[in-house]
Amino acid sequence: MSRREEILAQVRTLPALPTGAGQLLALLQDPDVGISILIERIEYDPGLTSNLLRLANSAYFAGPRTIGSLREAIVRMGTKRILQLVITSVVAPMARRPVSGYDLPAGQLLTHSVAVAIAGEQIAEAVHVRPTDHLFTAGLLHDLGKIVLGTFVEVDVEPIRRLAFDEAMPFDMAEREVLGIDHAEVGAVLLGGWSLPADVVEAVRHHHDPEGLSGDKRTVDLVHTADQLILSSGLGGGSDGLNYRPSEKSVARLNLTPLLCETVISRTLDAVQSLSGVLDASGGN
Amino acid sequence: MNHTVGISDMKVTNRRDDVLVTYSLGSCVGLALYDPVAGVGGLIHCMLPLSKIDPAKAAANPYMFTDTGVPALIQTLFNMGAERRNLIAKVAGAGSLLDEKGLFKIGERNYTVLRKVLWKNSILIAAEDVGGSKARTVYLYMESGRTVIRSGGQESEL
Repeated sequence: MSRREEILAQVRTLPALPTGAGQLLALLQDPDVGISILIERIEYDPGLTSNLLRLANSAYFAGPRTIGSLREAIVRMGTKRILQLVITSVVAPMARRPVSGYDLPAGQLLTHSVAVAIAGEQIAEAVHVRPTDHLFTAGLLHDLGKIVLGTFVEVDVEPIRRLAFDEAMPFDMAEREVLGIDHAEVGAVLLGGWSLPADVVEAVRHHHDPEGLSGDKRTVDLVHTADQLILSSGLGGGSDGLNYRPSEKSVARLNLTPLLCETVISRTLDAVQSLSGVLDASGGN
Repeated sequence: MNHTVGISDMKVTNRRDDVLVTYSLGSCVGLALYDPVAGVGGLIHCMLPLSKIDPAKAAANPYMFTDTGVPALIQTLFNMGAERRNLIAKVAGAGSLLDEKGLFKIGERNYTVLRKVLWKNSILIAAEDVGGSKARTVYLYMESGRTVIRSGGQESEL
C-alpha cells in the first residue's frame, strides 16, 4: 500500500460527526424545516444549546441586544449563521487538541481556524464583496486535515522539512512529494462524510491552490488569502511557519492591497481574542 | 517565572529569575531590550508597522504597531532605570511567505519601521534573526540577558 492509500484508509476509519450533529447540519440546510423543529433538535443537546447562546452573544456575532433564547438566536441571526455556530461548536473540541507533526500546542489550531473564518469575512467587507454563504464554515474547517495528516508528517518530518525549508518548496507541496497527499486534500476527504455543502469541501480542498478549482472562486479566494494573511501574522501558527505560496491571482481577483491587508489583520485579532475566550470557556461540549 | 508576551503585547521586568517569551513570530517583529547594569529588560511583539491605519486601536493598544509599541517599550524601560547607552537590542521575526513579491510586505515593513525607531533613539541592534519563512519563538532570560530563538524544533542563541 502506498503512503497515500495508507493515509486515505486512516481517514476512512475516523468517526464522522458526533451522533446527531450530522442530522442537525442537514436540517439546518433544508429550507423546508421550520424553526420549531430546529429548536427541538438543538435543545435535545444542552451543551450545544449553551454553546450556541454563548457564541451568539460573543462580541463578534452579537448585535446590540443580548440574545436570551434559541428562538431569538435563530430569528435574529438566521439559519445560515446558526449553521456556522453549530459547526464551530462541534469542531472546537477536535481543533482544540494539540496537533503533532506541525508542533501545534493545544488550542492553536482552533485559534488559527477561527482567525481564518473571521479574516475571510473581514476581507470580503474590506474589498466590498458579498461574503458567500459558506465562507465562515470553509474558513473554519480549512485545516482540519492537519489533525489526521499530522501523525504522518511527524514520521517523515525530516524529508518534508528539508524540501520546505532548504529548498523553499511550499509546505503543502512537500507533503505531497513525501506522503503523496497534502493536508488540504485530507481535509476535503474527511469532510466529505459530514454532509456539508459541496462548496465548503471544494474550498477546503483547494485552499492552497485556488486555480485548481473550476467554477466560482469567490469562497476559495477569500479562504486562501485569509489563510495566507493569518499564517503570515503567526496566529495559531505551527512549525510549517510561513512556508506557503500566496496566489497572486486570488489577490488580484479580490483587488486586495497591502493597506487593506493590514486593516483586516488588526480587526481580526480583536475578534479572534473575544471568540477564543468564549470557545475556551465552552469546554468539552 | 515565565511570562508570555502575546501578539500585540509587551512585558517588562526587573526580576532576575524571570524569563520573557513570545511565541510564533511570523511577519510580526519581536524586540528584546536588556540593560545589564540596571537589571531591567522587556520584550515586545508588534503585529503591524504603522499605527496610522487605526489610530483608535493604537491608542487602546500601542503594542499592536511597531511605530507606537517600540517607543513605548523604550520609555517604560527608561522609567524603570534603564539607560540608553546600556541597552542591548535583539530583533527576531519579520518573516514572509514564499515568493510574496510584495503582495503583503508586512514583515519587511515591520522591520524597516523598527530600524527607524531604534535609529531615532540611538539604539544599535546587537543581533538579529529576521526574514525567511520560518515562525520563531523568542526567550529573554533576565538573569543574563541571553536571548534564545526557537524555530522548527531547533534552538539557537542570538
